[in-house]
Amino acid sequence: MSAGGYFGRAMVVELTGRTATANPLPLDERVLRAYLGGVGLGTWLLHRLAPPGGDPLASAAPLAFVFSPLVGTPLTTSAKFAVVAKSPLTGLLTDALASSQFAISGKLTGHDAIVVRGRADALSVLLIDSDDTAGVRLEPAPELAGLPAAETETAVRERFGRGWRTAAIGPAGERQVRYATISHDGRHAGRGGLGAVLGAKNIKAVAVRAGRKVAVADQPGVLAAARDLRERSFGPATAKYRELGTLANLLAFNAVSTLPTRNFTAATFEGAPALAAEQLHELRGVARNSCASCSIGCEHIYTRRGGGRQRMEYENVFALGPLCGVSEPDDVFAASARCDELGIDTISAGGTIAWAMECVERGLLDAPWLRFGDGAALLRTLEAIGAREPGLGELLAQGSRRAAAAVGHGSIDFAPQVKGLELPGYEPRSLQTMALGLAVNARGADHNRSGAYEADLSGELDRLDGGAAHVAAAIGTEDRAAVMDSMILCKFLRGVFTEPFAEWAALLSTVTGWDVDEPELRATARRIVLAKRVFNAREGATAADDTLPPRMLDTPLRLGSGRVAALTRERLVTMVAGYYAARGLDAEGNPRPEDVAGLLLDG
Amino acid sequence: MDNGDAAAAGIVLAGGRSSRMGESKAALEWHGSTLLHRTAALLARTVAGPVLVVRAPGQELPGLPAGVEIVEDPVEGLGPMQGLSAGLTAVADRVAIAFVCSTDLPFLHPAFVRRVLRGLTDPEVDVSLPVARGFPQPMAAGYRTALAELAGKLVADAKLRPAMLFERCRVRRTGDAELLADAELARLDPDLDSVVNVNAPQDYATARQRPAPQITVQRYGALAGGEHGPREVRAATLGAAAAAAGLILDRHVVAALNGDRISRDAQLPLVTGDVVAFLSADAGG
Repeated sequence: MSAGGYFGRAMVVELTGRTATANPLPLDERVLRAYLGGVGLGTWLLHRLAPPGGDPLASAAPLAFVFSPLVGTPLTTSAKFAVVAKSPLTGLLTDALASSQFAISGKLTGHDAIVVRGRADALSVLLIDSDDTAGVRLEPAPELAGLPAAETETAVRERFGRGWRTAAIGPAGERQVRYATISHDGRHAGRGGLGAVLGAKNIKAVAVRAGRKVAVADQPGVLAAARDLRERSFGPATAKYRELGTLANLLAFNAVSTLPTRNFTAATFEGAPALAAEQLHELRGVARNSCASCSIGCEHIYTRRGGGRQRMEYENVFALGPLCGVSEPDDVFAASARCDELGIDTISAGGTIAWAMECVERGLLDAPWLRFGDGAALLRTLEAIGAREPGLGELLAQGSRRAAAAVGHGSIDFAPQVKGLELPGYEPRSLQTMALGLAVNARGADHNRSGAYEADLSGELDRLDGGAAHVAAAIGTEDRAAVMDSMILCKFLRGVFTEPFAEWAALLSTVTGWDVDEPELRATARRIVLAKRVFNAREGATAADDTLPPRMLDTPLRLGSGRVAALTRERLVTMVAGYYAARGLDAEGNPRPEDVAGLLLDG
Repeated sequence: MDNGDAAAAGIVLAGGRSSRMGESKAALEWHGSTLLHRTAALLARTVAGPVLVVRAPGQELPGLPAGVEIVEDPVEGLGPMQGLSAGLTAVADRVAIAFVCSTDLPFLHPAFVRRVLRGLTDPEVDVSLPVARGFPQPMAAGYRTALAELAGKLVADAKLRPAMLFERCRVRRTGDAELLADAELARLDPDLDSVVNVNAPQDYATARQRPAPQITVQRYGALAGGEHGPREVRAATLGAAAAAAGLILDRHVVAALNGDRISRDAQLPLVTGDVVAFLSADAGG
């Protein structure tokens, strides 16, 4: 009998030719307690199942859908899952979270994780339900080729019947664009190129159907906690998400000079007001939507001029708007919609295109039409990327780091990436705790596994003068993210917790029946962070990867206030060294052998 | 801080006897805190280096902003030269220049501090001495911290008036017109109220009758409540600005001062021309 909230096993699906074979992988309770679920358990699974040094797009590369003990409970925001694999963009561990009914149905196939390995010999749909022996099958689906994910979901339902929940790739995933996404219910496991990994397996969609039930240890306790959390989720901590959505960041970040603009050459954008949530709310019809099991409702869906609707978030507006110098909302809406249809990550797409625009300005790329601020050029480039058109499309489909290596002439210095992953919409020079978080994170330039901007914008430290306090703060936010992303709870809920580790430990105890306390959960957070570093070191990452693009270190920014935001190499190196010391890592950023031994990575 | 370019210290001399006031000027109430708190906090938001308060031996001080250091005069009653010596000595190994002022300047403006410190960009100048509103202002002036030794020697020789220091170093005197040639200062403190001090109860009463500084507030995102764009209010502190904007500075709200410093310190002093942006504390996206 497994702990409450778990089935105590994963399913490993092997694809060969036209068949799929399911092999159970028992998950020891020690492992579950050590890694919880989501990105934590996914990291452990990758250690076990990914061949060291393997090509992320090779047949043998595993891709894991990982659920969590909270999935299927009435706890708000818990219908989430992680997709974990080795990234074709970074060559390192990547994990992306997403929310939808796929999480619930996937878990209720009777598994805490579903891992896919191998390759089908034709474009197929992988169907998984709760039948232990006959519950996995591979169905060729040539008719789905080239379809957007949303249309694929509809087609899968029509062909296989209702009750299936689908995660699918778009045409960019089929063509293995290195930042292709996996989508479901209009949501995306967006970062790191997971859609390319699935595409490399010739899997257009994974469909799951629930058939099991999962017990929790203390059902009345879970119901009470769910009521309490739901009530708190209606309070001021989530008002921003409820009322305007994440796009509320745009004007605010512009006001504090941390809105990356024109490939990080500025931190304020004159076109920001036109793209702001406040403006769009007044001028456009807007509807709200929630993920499955969520009481916050952060999704804001705007009416497009000329018809159609589009969900807009801060990150896609930042990346396809200011970062590319585009200020016309309908251009950004159209670009965002096209990214969704193609199935590509908006942040990496925007970052790579912004880099290309700067290359054109500098005479390094022969595409004179590709200019900052030109919405039509942005759309044209997205098409080229999605199709991997020879020339520019093929180049940019590789992401900014590979593209810069091909173009040369020092263009890597202004490629907006860390470890190959394009930077999100938080200017590191004016958010120096975030600068450290971006530099050391296992996934690359990432705002979700670190969240260190919280500290910069708290007023408790000087965001322009990174030092020891910033190191401690970055570790704090990284630890909180590690637990939230493994339990899994939506981070938009974080503000409702006043004693987060203690409150999360209580929640976990209620669901699982374990007697988890705050110190244990803090140790769990560190374990997950260290396990990721061990995986990345195995794949060749070194301390030299824990850095930021030279532009961030060599070129100061002048803020609107007149103050200069300078993040020097020396300062970043000092902060990274402080991070290593505080995490108990050696000078190369590797965990000590005695710590590695405690990570249970051998099972 | 408003001006990270100037690696200057801020030194507040709080050890005076306040004999004409009849009570400690440092502890006089000022918009919810004290004159000393406001002066120290104003320097803290203005200079990039350390801020310290020099007090008389055993002098009890009101609460100070976080991070402000305290230095004690070794001997009581030796006047500003003693305080200057103690203050400059305490920061000499950290910064090259300092703005030194008394505790009783309720209208001191960062633009004035910046203008005075700019007088020390000339390496041939040891003291940037404003001659404002008709008088030299040694207690609102810029000093090279290398003067610490000379000031100490003058104290030892019982030469306690600032003029005695000025006789022995290179002083750049700047009158009203030259000060106000600075466009920022002319816009934000056209009457040079920065040097208005309060020595007697009537001064204090008059100063308190002045309206609070005019500032601009803007609420962003979910805090806007349907109100877009900036508006003018009068507020001497961040807490008062929040109240004027209909907000409470709790853990869900932060403020950005002039697009730069992020704070939720209700006592953060505001001055004419400040722009305060109120933001949701959760920046997730």
